Amino acid sequence: MTRQKNRICIVIPAYNESQVIYDVLTNIKKALARDKKHSYEIVVVNDGSADDTSLEAKRAKVTVIDHILNSGAGGATATGLSYAQQHNFDAAATMDADGQHKPEDLVRGVEKLLSSDVDLLIGSRLIDSKGMSRVKVLGNKGLSAITYLIFGINSTDSQSGLRVFSKKALACLEWKARGYEFCSEMLWRASKIGLKIDEYPIYAIYTEYSKSKGQSNWNGLNIVRTLLARRLSEIFR
Amino acid sequence: MSRYILLLLINLPFVALAITGIITRFKMKRISRRRASIQLTLWFVLLSGLVLAEPTYHWLFANNFTDADSLSLFDVVQITAIVFLLYTINSISIRLEQTEKRLNDLHQELSIKLSSKK
Repeated sequence: MTRQKNRICIVIPAYNESQVIYDVLTNIKKALARDKKHSYEIVVVNDGSADDTSLEAKRAKVTVIDHILNSGAGGATATGLSYAQQHNFDAAATMDADGQHKPEDLVRGVEKLLSSDVDLLIGSRLIDSKGMSRVKVLGNKGLSAITYLIFGINSTDSQSGLRVFSKKALACLEWKARGYEFCSEMLWRASKIGLKIDEYPIYAIYTEYSKSKGQSNWNGLNIVRTLLARRLSEIFR
Repeated sequence: MSRYILLLLINLPFVALAITGIITRFKMKRISRRRASIQLTLWFVLLSGLVLAEPTYHWLFANNFTDADSLSLFDVVQITAIVFLLYTINSISIRLEQTEKRLNDLHQELSIKLSSKK
């Protein structure tokens, strides 16, 4: 009897990534084709880009969901995961569209999640931060420390875009933040509803392009401000 | 009619509406028990303030804790405006929250539905 393959949805939120999205998707597709254990569907959520991100993604022959309005990374991720839930996938994963994540790390994460009872698996760039600039390491460690102070969630890389979700997490995980602060809020909500969270080490590739697209430390400050406001507004809920 | 009673009569509808709204939302499971009890406490504190305004003033005056004049008509208008503002801010924030959620859900669903039609 043949074992039925698990269906995995790979969600890639993208905003103005036309320069690289085709190559990123082609690389991911190549890596996923080597994994015969699971069947994958790649879903690009084009978050109201002003360039040809949508066309480039369609050229790579993946599913593209076009947001009519730009709603931020949190909103685009929520749309992608909602698609995965509606189409009854066994698990889903999110990745950045700038090519900073290795597809092999994604496959490893999916395998790790499916062979354990974890609901939310975070690919941590900071367990082994080789290749990351000191400023990035400091910024990300700072945000993880602030996530711990505000929400009491202990994570080495609370801002990582590579995350793997179980079917249970897809069904019950929701968050309110629309911007990048959703990364920390998601961990908090997951912990509040009793989902099991774990981490595994991944390696981030920083090209000149991904460096220019990445979040600045000033944006980090804005994330802290929004997280604090969110936490305060929910004290009485 | 005493100005303290006038103050209570004018403000009572706002307080009653707010308390009814909180109980209704809690019963319809739109807000948590914790949030409902905190909001109810706040409105009951405000109601007690309105009810006990006159005896409190007389007690303070009799014990030489204040030598201020009793409530003027302008004070009644001012306090009513503050209570009305509190009620309005609360209602608007609830509506805004609901609208934001609906808009996000609509945007999400619309994007998914349109992508599957292509």
